[in-house]
Amino acid sequence: MERRKFLSMTLGALALAVVPASVRAADFRKSNPAVWTTKNVMNGTKVTEEGVMSAIKALYGSNSLTMEGVKLKAPDVASNGGAIPVDFSTQKDVKSIAVFQNANPEAAVLVIDVNKYSVNKYSIKIKMASSGTITIVAQGNGGKLYAAQKTLDVALGGCEG
Amino acid sequence: MAGIKAKAKLKNGVVKVKLLIKNPSMTPNMALKKTGSKDNADFITHLSATLNGEIVADFSTSQFLSKNPIFKFEFKGIGAKKDKIELVAMNNHGKTYKGKAKIK
Repeated sequence: MERRKFLSMTLGALALAVVPASVRAADFRKSNPAVWTTKNVMNGTKVTEEGVMSAIKALYGSNSLTMEGVKLKAPDVASNGGAIPVDFSTQKDVKSIAVFQNANPEAAVLVIDVNKYSVNKYSIKIKMASSGTITIVAQGNGGKLYAAQKTLDVALGGCEG
Repeated sequence: MAGIKAKAKLKNGVVKVKLLIKNPSMTPNMALKKTGSKDNADFITHLSATLNGEIVADFSTSQFLSKNPIFKFEFKGIGAKKDKIELVAMNNHGKTYKGKAKIK
């Protein structure tokens, strides 16, 4: 009897141990490492859009952006570059949303894997080493890239390069 | 113990989550300046939130989040009051950060 009990308990424990490993989200850092190492391109001391554009291309395979459908809110002047509040949202049917900027050594900040429960409304805080432009790109279900941009002044760089 | 602090609130069918991860968010360049080695960089690379076994939010992130990064996100169609959202984040060295939020 005892042995039987022991056996059933072990089986139960085993069954628990192998509970669905089904939910495993997409890790864009693994599936798409090129995005995260794409460097921003500086033209002298002026920041350019090149790095951001090639990062978008590395992520979505295209960088032809449609400047609509995405709302982006960030301060015009950020007094502290170490924590700049960035709010963004979209009403479009999208698969993923990515955040880029062109003031830091690399372009990518964040990629969101949108799921069926998502209300696409987010707030994050980011670092920027100098004044620059934040770009939000949302990939629509049809493959179209919706985007919004905002250029802001950073009074005190938060990233130390 | 490093972890995640989080709050979740249900209103009009939408659950709003606000969370903070305790992490210095140190870029390789900052680490090089401060400690002499880029290997000491410490930042969050991935964050996910699950509720009742379903993923409700998934972020892949880089070193350019602020120190102790704050995230806010929303979801709907799942979750009731008193349900617990589980949050798991990982840094660039593979260290995991965990937190829970009870929906209020």
